[in-house]
Amino acid sequence: MMALMLRTEGLNAFYGNIRAITDVTIRVPKGKVVSIIGANGAGKSTLLKSISGLIQRKNGHVIYKDRDITNMSVNRIVKLGISQVPEGRQLFAHLTVEDNIRLGAYSYYNRRNRSVIQDRIDGVYGMFPILEKRCKQVSGTLSGGEQQMLAIARAFMARPDMILLDEPSMGIAPLVVREIFNVIVNLNQSGTTVLLVEQNAKAALKVAHYAYVLEGGRVVLEGLPKELLDNPKVKEVYLGG
Amino acid sequence: MEQISIAGQLFQYLITGITVGSIYAMVAIGFNIIYDVTDIINFAQGEFVMLGGLTMVLFHVSFQIPIIIAFILTVMGVTLIGILVDRLAIRPIRQPSVLTLIIATIAVSFVIRGAAMFFWGKNPFDLPAFSGRNPITFYGAVIQPQYFWVVGFLIVVVIVLSIFFDKTITGKAMKACADNADAARLVGINVNQMIMLSFALSAGVGAVAGIIITPISLMEYDRGAMLAVKGFGAVILGGLGSFPGAIIGGLILGIIESLVAGLISSGYKDAFALVVLLCVLFFKPSGILGNIEISKIKRF
Ligand SMILES: Nc1ncnc2c1ncn2[C@@H]1O[C@H](COP(=O)(O)OP(=O)(O)OP(=O)(O)O)[C@@H](O)[C@H]1O
Ligand SMILES: [Mg+2]
Repeated sequence: MMALMLRTEGLNAFYGNIRAITDVTIRVPKGKVVSIIGANGAGKSTLLKSISGLIQRKNGHVIYKDRDITNMSVNRIVKLGISQVPEGRQLFAHLTVEDNIRLGAYSYYNRRNRSVIQDRIDGVYGMFPILEKRCKQVSGTLSGGEQQMLAIARAFMARPDMILLDEPSMGIAPLVVREIFNVIVNLNQSGTTVLLVEQNAKAALKVAHYAYVLEGGRVVLEGLPKELLDNPKVKEVYLGG
Repeated sequence: MEQISIAGQLFQYLITGITVGSIYAMVAIGFNIIYDVTDIINFAQGEFVMLGGLTMVLFHVSFQIPIIIAFILTVMGVTLIGILVDRLAIRPIRQPSVLTLIIATIAVSFVIRGAAMFFWGKNPFDLPAFSGRNPITFYGAVIQPQYFWVVGFLIVVVIVLSIFFDKTITGKAMKACADNADAARLVGINVNQMIMLSFALSAGVGAVAGIIITPISLMEYDRGAMLAVKGFGAVILGGLGSFPGAIIGGLILGIIESLVAGLISSGYKDAFALVVLLCVLFFKPSGILGNIEISKIKRF
């Protein structure tokens, strides 16, 4: 059996008294890309937020590197190496591109590793040359695609072992989507484990090593991408027939 | 001769207005620091100013502590009170809405004012001016040395805060909380800690304002409310959340008041300030330097 980076066991998460995901059990092997597809309101974002710690009202288990992180605060989870790229980018809209990137390394900031952080910033600019060109621009004025790259760059500044991506293709032109998915593949090949959530099932299945289908807050289907691509139900509902 | 004396008078009003306006600007900056991080309007801001003035009187006049040490102790003490306000009144509120938090700050201002009345009584207190009270006469205007201290401290506060917010990672993290609290959490920023820091900072700025104005206008327990109203006016005038706006708003408000008090009657100065405020709200609701886009996103 392959080494697991993260797994959830019977995870339930709540908004007030409303349960948004029910008994979700998933496995994310180390160094792989796992995709979760599902329609609006299926509970995809809720699942990612429950893993990253933004949602605290939950039961069941989140196990990361053999450690139970279910009840940990977001701060601690980030320090353990999980970074989330939230849905809709969620940039610091009034700060510059460079400040957004810099803040991505906030947990590691202290006087001693200034040069390390500068190296990371340079590394991120290497990945996204467009961001270097725009470094002094206020991030709220970037195009949708550039914003998504910035959101990924910010999360990558923490050099996470695992990155959680929430609908990176949302509201972005197809050509740019391809570019962003290339970045995701590159991140993965450089050793980062990826948990990807998407409504764009085709793109998500193409880059995944394994995938789950979420419906009404439950996992209804799982398998290798090519199995899911051949599944008549997936074809009809998520791939448009 | 007549001409010169009128010009001299106007110059005098201008100088007085700039001095008072600098204090309003500092109160406005205090409002903005907390607003920028939390979206809360902290109506206890004026109480920090009052506490600054009266605590300084206690340390410097009653205890005879040398002025620089008393100054530092006072700012530290009031900063601590700012932290306590956050810990005891703001943070314990469960599932807060911005409105409940604002109401909580109003309650806090009543508590602080009551405690101050209990401790200091109702009489105003004086504080020796930092460099004596021998006025300088300049183009017909009489300038108190303390005026220079007031304007000087405004400049220092603005420079220090600009460096803090624009150049340090902690300052940037505070701004990030205001922009997007969840995203701030996701990069590992402790949002509660940043909120506490914003209360500490604006209490400290308030204390400085209180210390430097007391030698000019004395200080008593219930001055905070009026200062908060004026400072809030300056915030609205300059644009909610904008630091340069706070300074411009404060100075404009101070100068208008001083001119109206001198040329018409001091009874009208508050009314006039309000009229100007309403005009600005009518013609440019986001304030002089406010950003309409930003004011749309924000909840107020
Ligand atoms: N803050 C909230 N308060 C109450 N209910 C919520 C909240 N956020 C989400 N929900 C509910 O939880 C369910 C799952 O929502 P979630 O955002 O996880 O869906 P999703 O799969 O990410 O959808 P989308 O593709 O539209 O982003 C939905 O029924 C939604 O209405
Ligand atoms: Mg979602």
